[in-house]
Amino acid sequence: MSDAVKKRLDLHGVVCPLNFVKTKLALEELNVGERLEVILDEGDAMLNVPRSLKEEGHKIIKVTPNGEVYQLIVEKGV
Amino acid sequence: MSTPEFDLVALKKVGMIQQKQSEYFALRLHAIGGDFTAEQLHRVAEVAAKYGRGELHLSTRQGIEIHFVHYSRLEEARQELEAAGIAMGACGPRIRIVVACPGAATCRWGIIDTKEVAKELDAKYFRQDTPHKFKMGVTGCPHNCAKATENDLGVMGGILPAWQSESCIHCDLCVNSCPTGAIYKENNEYRLDESKCIYCSICTSNCPVDSWVAAKKGYLLWIGGTMGKIPRLGTKLGNLIETKERLYELIERVIAYYRKNGRKRERFGHMIDRIGEQQVKEELLNE
Repeated sequence: MSDAVKKRLDLHGVVCPLNFVKTKLALEELNVGERLEVILDEGDAMLNVPRSLKEEGHKIIKVTPNGEVYQLIVEKGV
Repeated sequence: MSTPEFDLVALKKVGMIQQKQSEYFALRLHAIGGDFTAEQLHRVAEVAAKYGRGELHLSTRQGIEIHFVHYSRLEEARQELEAAGIAMGACGPRIRIVVACPGAATCRWGIIDTKEVAKELDAKYFRQDTPHKFKMGVTGCPHNCAKATENDLGVMGGILPAWQSESCIHCDLCVNSCPTGAIYKENNEYRLDESKCIYCSICTSNCPVDSWVAAKKGYLLWIGGTMGKIPRLGTKLGNLIETKERLYELIERVIAYYRKNGRKRERFGHMIDRIGEQQVKEELLNE
């Protein structure tokens, strides 16, 4: 397991549920324990995507607000 | 065109409403939380085709109305519906059909079994007389899809969250996804400002390591909501109610209070404003 971010994804302006689908696809390219950085919009995206990631077994490591978007670090689960 | 005299008040009581085409009536059907079986819908459709003009209207309260039923065939249509297990609805100054979202039975966010509460309220109060119309709604969580706050009495599921430090990885998702900013960080610990918390369960659902847990789970009671000519959103009565017994006790008290204090054709919320929100809350809670 490494703390380094393996991949970055800017989903600013991408609506639900497409933002989750894109996040999921990006995570599929990673190995278990590797990390993805995702930029998500405030509002619906932040309500839905984190919970869907949890349901899929992935883990949010850090959330940092940045204006109208959030930067999420997600660790791929099993 | 001459039509016989109708006892319109009696007909309204059982959901038969005279249309502006005075020979014709709209049949308002009973429903609980908008739930029907496929079989019942078939029968409703058959009755609408046979006794009306084959037209159905879905009401704003999740009910069904069959329009254009001729007065001479009202009883026949009603009997056919009742044989299929579909009772008549209600109109006029009384307790109307209960609306509800699907709740915990199917919804990811559902905190309470809305169907159970709606059935209980229906069994206890449906069609009972009140000073003016009285509407009840049951919604599974504070997302409030069933608009509990737009009903004279609204029941809403809710949880009070609590933070457990041991498992926390300090990702800050809770602080950044709480819709009311009730969660904040102080001295490297997450804290909850309960005065801002709306009991919605987003923190407990989202937390990647389940450090936020539901310390309490129960019901929120909203009173005096109404739309119509003078809209007013419901007032929260007290805080999270943890038992069904307490919930139903308070509801019983709310309805009795409205019956005692409400003027004719005065909606419950407007009565609350006339008496004073603080006084009404105190009288209902401290008895």
